[in-house]
Amino acid sequence: MATSPIPDLPTAVPRRRGAAWELWRGLSGRSARLLACLHQTWRRSLQVRVVTITLVASSLLVGGFAYLIADKITNILLENAETDVRVRLDSGAAYAAKQFGLFNQPQEAQLQETIDGTVNYLAGGDPQQTTGVVVALTADNHAGTIQSRTSPAVDVRPLISRELRGTVAGGEVASQIRTGRLGGERTKYLVYGSPVPTRFGQVELYYLVPLTRQDTTAADARATVVATGAALVLLLGLLAALVTRLVVTPVRVAARTAQRLSAGLLDQRMVVNGEDDLALLAASFNQMATNLQRQILRLEEMSRLQRRFTSDVSHELRTPLTTVRMAADLIFAERDEFEPAVARSAELLQAELDRFEELLTDLLEISRFDAGFAALDAEPTDLVPVVHRVADRLAGLAERAGVTIDLDVPTAPVIAEVDPRRVERVLRNLVGNAVEHGEAKPVVITLGMDETAVAITVRDHGVGLKPGEEKLVFNRFWRADPSRARQTGGTGLGLSISLEDARLHGGWLEAWGAPGQGAQFRLTLPARAGDRLTTSPLRLVPADAALPFGGPRAGGLLAIGPGTDGALAIGPGTDGALAVGPAGSGGRAEVGS
Amino acid sequence: MRRGLLVGVLGGALLLGGVAGCGIPENSEVRVDGPGPAAEGGSTSGSRGVPPTRTSSGSREEFVQNFLSAAAGEPGKAYERVRNFIDPAYRGRLQEKQNSEIALTVVRLTEAPVIIPGPETTSVTLNVQHVGQLRADGVLAPPEISTPKYQFELRSPAGQEGKPDAGLFVAEPPNVLLLSVEALDAYYQSRTVYFWNADRTRLVPDQRYLPLAVPDERRVSEVVRWLTDGPSAWLDNAVSGLPGNTRLINNATRTDGRWEVNLEMPDDKVQLEQLGAQLAWSLTDLDGQLELKIRNQSRTVIPDLEAHRAARPIHQITQSPQRFCVYEGTVHPLEYAGEPVGPVPVVAKANKDVVSAGFSRAGEEILAALVVTGPGRRQHLSVGTGVDPVTIFTRSPGRGYGAMSRPVWLRSADARQPVGLVVADGNLYRFDARAQLAPVALGVPAPVTAVAASLDGHRLAVIAGGSLYVVALSPDGGGVTPGPARRLATSLTNLSAVDWYGENSLILAGSVGRPAVYEMSVDGARETRLDENIGARVTHLAAYPASPPVAPLGVAMFEANGVSYRSSPVERIQREQVQGVDTPPDGVRAGNPTAPFFLY
Repeated sequence: MATSPIPDLPTAVPRRRGAAWELWRGLSGRSARLLACLHQTWRRSLQVRVVTITLVASSLLVGGFAYLIADKITNILLENAETDVRVRLDSGAAYAAKQFGLFNQPQEAQLQETIDGTVNYLAGGDPQQTTGVVVALTADNHAGTIQSRTSPAVDVRPLISRELRGTVAGGEVASQIRTGRLGGERTKYLVYGSPVPTRFGQVELYYLVPLTRQDTTAADARATVVATGAALVLLLGLLAALVTRLVVTPVRVAARTAQRLSAGLLDQRMVVNGEDDLALLAASFNQMATNLQRQILRLEEMSRLQRRFTSDVSHELRTPLTTVRMAADLIFAERDEFEPAVARSAELLQAELDRFEELLTDLLEISRFDAGFAALDAEPTDLVPVVHRVADRLAGLAERAGVTIDLDVPTAPVIAEVDPRRVERVLRNLVGNAVEHGEAKPVVITLGMDETAVAITVRDHGVGLKPGEEKLVFNRFWRADPSRARQTGGTGLGLSISLEDARLHGGWLEAWGAPGQGAQFRLTLPARAGDRLTTSPLRLVPADAALPFGGPRAGGLLAIGPGTDGALAIGPGTDGALAVGPAGSGGRAEVGS
Repeated sequence: MRRGLLVGVLGGALLLGGVAGCGIPENSEVRVDGPGPAAEGGSTSGSRGVPPTRTSSGSREEFVQNFLSAAAGEPGKAYERVRNFIDPAYRGRLQEKQNSEIALTVVRLTEAPVIIPGPETTSVTLNVQHVGQLRADGVLAPPEISTPKYQFELRSPAGQEGKPDAGLFVAEPPNVLLLSVEALDAYYQSRTVYFWNADRTRLVPDQRYLPLAVPDERRVSEVVRWLTDGPSAWLDNAVSGLPGNTRLINNATRTDGRWEVNLEMPDDKVQLEQLGAQLAWSLTDLDGQLELKIRNQSRTVIPDLEAHRAARPIHQITQSPQRFCVYEGTVHPLEYAGEPVGPVPVVAKANKDVVSAGFSRAGEEILAALVVTGPGRRQHLSVGTGVDPVTIFTRSPGRGYGAMSRPVWLRSADARQPVGLVVADGNLYRFDARAQLAPVALGVPAPVTAVAASLDGHRLAVIAGGSLYVVALSPDGGGVTPGPARRLATSLTNLSAVDWYGENSLILAGSVGRPAVYEMSVDGARETRLDENIGARVTHLAAYPASPPVAPLGVAMFEANGVSYRSSPVERIQREQVQGVDTPPDGVRAGNPTAPFFLY
């Protein structure tokens, strides 16, 4: 393969090699595909498995029985033939012994004639009439004086093996099966030899009986057995396929029904036929489905009632609250005329009423989300002014808290198809929380975008979040430390509403935090309403965060990529992020954590 | 899981392949069943009847004698045996013939071999009379050559001259296998086989020779083969052989005293029965059981051959023979002690002027033929048949004959139409019960002088021109048709009278320088001198043939020079033995009994 005998065609070799390689690849690929396909079928179809196993097991069993039967038939045929020939041989040897018993010496004139006559007689008398049986008489001890005779006259020497000759010449009756050609076609012969004692020594008589009939019968029997066996195996396979189908079909129906149920079609049921195990399965399944449906409906009803209750309560509270509010406003407006203690109470009343109102508003908003009434009012919006507006609006609060708000916003407009009111509410909520938990450390708002999405992160450097709290923060009325009273005006519903707003946009709202390292929230929204998000333009984990497992170096960046001199370098990156990819430049192949 | 599946599939395929492969093997090992049959102990006939070898002779005469017997034995090896006597340089001269064509030239030495010793070689001259050709089937056929003389030389083996142990070689050998009649007698057994006559009413003997070298066990096979091969050529027209395709399958064998003869022949009950009788008589030395098979299927079992023979006698001889003679023109009984005597079965009116007579029994009837002297001393034949005594006689028409021999009756002929033979004036005539004579053409070159009929009635011995001939007769209708005459070689010359002395032997009167009476086999090979002291030519001879078991020995009576004699012992028949005649008065010369004969 590798070397060509034709040296003047150097290009032929690689071309041929290439062609062969292609062929081999094609073949191996095809067989690999076929194998994979078979494997998949094997794994997926219970019916295929059952049928295959039945076929294999029944093949083994039937094959074993067929072998035994065919072997037995052959043996019986052979034994019968041997018995027949033995009887003929014995009588033939007795006859020959009687005939040759008349002679005292091998030289006697008529001995050869008698041998001829005896052989012809034993072969059936008429040399023309061929029954296929060949009778041969040899005299190994008188090779010079007595000539071997065969009737019909054919050369039987190749068929009488030297071992058999030796055994019979040694005075034993022996037989052997030999295959050879005596004139006609190649035939199996049963060669049976017996010594014939005479007064002048011993001669040997052989019968060569063709086993054609036995062979044909054995072949017929074998063919019948094999055909029956094959038919039986096929039948068993068919039976297995049918039975499996009987079992598998209801199971498949059950699977399909279960799939539909899980898809929400709770009124799907199986058809119950008869009273067997499968019917029991179907009935039980239906029972289960009915129970599940009932439970789900009950739970849904309960949930609906609960939401309704919340909504109703909120609505019902609003009217008395309005009245209370009007009265409280009046009192608050006249507080200067009251005693300082009463004035202080009026102020407190006013503040708590504000919170109460705020809480009710949030509750109503949540109720709307729960009821599915929230609707997205999306329009192309430049997010830069939105960020600035939120920062400006919270500047007072930040100042009170001693927190500076830093903006990392592009100068160019960042246009996205969003609902500006909701985005602003989310941002206000996030920045408010950051200022509130900022512990007088700066809060950074970053705005980023790429082709498909925009993202805003809000980073604070407060107490941070404990592991596992990243998800809990979005729960309704969740607080990090339940013993700590709510100090500021938060209702405990802000992040829940923000999460619902982000979801309404088809976007993400995620949190990151580490104890002592502060927290960062990231809002990611699709640039076009209705698009699916795949990545976010900004990282959730801030670049200055320490890696939880110690990492290569705190604040270092693991960079895998081309090194300075072209080698692959794995090591801390330059800007503190864990980056896998070409380090350095603006490429963003990154491994998020 | 997948591996298990693969193993299963492979196993199944292997098993199905195994089923396809578990047929009769192409070749197998030798399977030994056990020891073969053991040899049966049995008597062996030894190597008797084997002629002496070349070196076993002490003298040249003995060597010549041995050379003349060398060919005796089984014909297949005859050339080999004779070749051993011949100088290797001359062996090529003996041209070999094929098995069935081998024939030994049987010769009778007319005088002792003439042996003339020379310085290097000895010249031998044999003067011979050719007796016949002994063929492979035991038939002594008529001779084909008539060379009266054979010459050859004897020499010592090259380089061993003078050594007594070295023996001699024959040089310049004759190109035939010579066998002397002495050797034929010594190394062969004369056997009689029987064939049915043409109408299958009677068995006709046929003489054969079996080498003594053939073991006893093979004799049955040989006899059966002779029967299947057909009769001797000279009997061909008188007898019928077995059906044409009859042949013996291999050899006849003996199991526990029962002989089995397996034949290929038409399955005909009558033919089988006849073959059984043929075999029983042809194997007279055999008793016990004989089983006839046709193509290995048992057809007939003869439980006892002896009894079978006794129940089916060949010749219908019921009584011992009575002797008669002619005394003074009248037939008279002869009386001997211990022999039956009865009255003459012819009425006295017819019993006169008798020259000679021939009587025969045919059942209850007597056949009588008398040669009587008529007017002018011419002889006539007077024939009468009927119960004893025969009263009505018819005389032959015509003017009679100058001389008539003793008439003989054919015993084979139909009892209602008896046939006899008589020689008259040199011609053979047949006659019937009404004495109508008709000539019988024998095809012999000389005038016939004597005729004799055998017991079976199908063979004639005839003397014509002083030579002896035998002829087979085939009876057709009322007449007889003779086959070709066969001339027999005899030592006797100038033959004058003949009669049958046994189934296969003749008694013969002639001359060996002086008148003599010999017994001779029917093929001329064996001659036994009975009497040479008669002193006169025998003119009349009658015998009662031996036919075992009724009569083991033949007896004869003859007449020479007007005097009658009887045989065993040979003595003159006295007038006192003649019954029913008065003693002649003294002085009157009593006549002599003449033309004695037997009634049987």
